[in-house]
Amino acid sequence: MPEVKKLSDGIFEVIKDKKHLATKNLDPGKNVYGEKLIPVEGVEYRTWDPRRSKLGAMVLKKFNITLKKDSKVLYLGAASGTTVSHVSDIISEGAVYAVEFAPRSMRDLIGLASRRKNIHPILADAGKPDSYSHLVEPVDIIFQDVAQPNQAEIAARNAIRFLKKDGYLLLSIKARSIDTAANPKEVFKAEMKKLEQAFEPGFEILNAKDLKPYHEDHLGVLAKLK
Amino acid sequence: MKINTWFGILETDRAGEILESSLLSKDIRELALHSLSLRDSRSNFPPEGFDLKTAALKSGFAESPAEYYSLLHEVTLEAAKLQVSGALTPDQRIIQAVEALDDINETTNALSERLFEWYGGYFPESGLGGEDLALFIAKYGSRENVSSEDPLYSKARNSMGAKLEPADEALLKGFAENVCSLYERRRQIEAYIENSMELVAPNLKLVSGPMLGARLISLAGSLEKLAEFPSSTIQVIGASKALFKHLRARAPSPKHGIIYSHPLINTAPWWVRGKVSRAVASKLSLAARIDFYSGEKNPSLTERLEAKVLQIRTLNPRPPQKRQESGAKPKKRRRK
Ligand SMILES: C[S@@+](CC[C@H](N)C(=O)[O-])C[C@H]1O[C@@H](n2cnc3c(N)ncnc32)[C@H](O)[C@@H]1O
Repeated sequence: MPEVKKLSDGIFEVIKDKKHLATKNLDPGKNVYGEKLIPVEGVEYRTWDPRRSKLGAMVLKKFNITLKKDSKVLYLGAASGTTVSHVSDIISEGAVYAVEFAPRSMRDLIGLASRRKNIHPILADAGKPDSYSHLVEPVDIIFQDVAQPNQAEIAARNAIRFLKKDGYLLLSIKARSIDTAANPKEVFKAEMKKLEQAFEPGFEILNAKDLKPYHEDHLGVLAKLK
Repeated sequence: MKINTWFGILETDRAGEILESSLLSKDIRELALHSLSLRDSRSNFPPEGFDLKTAALKSGFAESPAEYYSLLHEVTLEAAKLQVSGALTPDQRIIQAVEALDDINETTNALSERLFEWYGGYFPESGLGGEDLALFIAKYGSRENVSSEDPLYSKARNSMGAKLEPADEALLKGFAENVCSLYERRRQIEAYIENSMELVAPNLKLVSGPMLGARLISLAGSLEKLAEFPSSTIQVIGASKALFKHLRARAPSPKHGIIYSHPLINTAPWWVRGKVSRAVASKLSLAARIDFYSGEKNPSLTERLEAKVLQIRTLNPRPPQKRQESGAKPKKRRRK
């Protein structure tokens, strides 16, 4: 019998042969991206590959992920929904607004959302939050993984509009999408400064760590509005 | 304060209390289309931190949070499906409208001509045609009904035309009414294209005018494709016979692209038309790119184009001399 350890609300470590990060499958019997399904005492766990998911890596890097079963989440850069599917598992009674602007990825995301009621897909540019402000309520968490040069600005615009006063921003910064030649450390420093100072009121950075060995040249950031 | 939401329009006071709401019905398709139409809107956004769910419950749109989320889920899903199916991107809607306009023009012209010939037998002196004639017939039917205030009154009295029997009159009036509504529909589509162009391609609209811009998008297949064309291609878009139906009556000759209907080109003297059309094409191409990639309106585009065209015309005030006239040996020199 595999052993299950709870890491935080909705996030588990399942030990079967080796340790797996996992969430409880909201859509039993189905996997999303080739991950394993492990049944334990009537509950189906879905393994979560930290190498395929910045958020998964952030969990293993001991970021304080405050997702609860009824959290409201704004997810920017949802792609085909690899990570969104795990967020959907964790916030089983909440809502995740999944924003993605590439139509190709949106097709996959639509497939995923049609089987999971708590995913609300939005085809839009995360840099233009006005264009989806008629759909999105104030949220507890913004997770952003857009790999764009203006990612600090995107985070700020969305946080001002949608993040609750006591909400958190979780951000993955990819050094190479900002400056392909520069030293990642310098890039990260500059981006953090932007997050803290480039807008009113600015973010307070609570935690920042690189995501090695799961992702090269990526920085995870946890922040809240000042 | 007015607030646009996916489930309707709310009127709130300063404290955010809802004073009035105009809610949509719970029809998923309708809600999805409404939601999509709000993407491009430029005002009445919910203010920062506005709680849409609470507003939906208070205004009576949804009875419970569960119902709210369930409707929201279906609506976002439907809207996303419509978007990726591509049928509803704004530039595709413009293309549909351009094609509808061409069809309507063709039909309207044919029916107007029929009406002209038919009614001509009864009132040949009217001097009316097109929409004026259709409006006249729809209003009076037989020329005997023309009122004394109408400028055509005496002509109608003294006309040599045949008498219009009641059965024919009913038929002609109905026919004329249909023609009138076609003209009306045509104006509606033109207004739609003009509005959509302002949202989708404001810079292209500025440089080309709404109709030529819409036709360029239509012939290219999408704004994205138009933005990718080199300006030399834009110069000849629409030149091929098959695509030429779009401009039938307007363009001077099918070996030119439809940009030859641009006022800066068709008012230019023939000897600089090639140069001017290259300048126009290059600005159109730039405008399409700005529209596709950034969308910000840049009013200096037209000024720069007009200055460029003026320069071309001042540098080439006279037509080039023909070779024979300029002496025995042909000159090879050409002004660049
Ligand atoms: C690195 S991938 C995200 C992977 C995803 N978070 C996961 O773990 O499953 C980045 C995604 O962001 C999307 N993206 C980039 N810029 C965007 C923008 N401005 N608005 C919306 N999506 C954007 C890209 O299309 C791409 O799918």
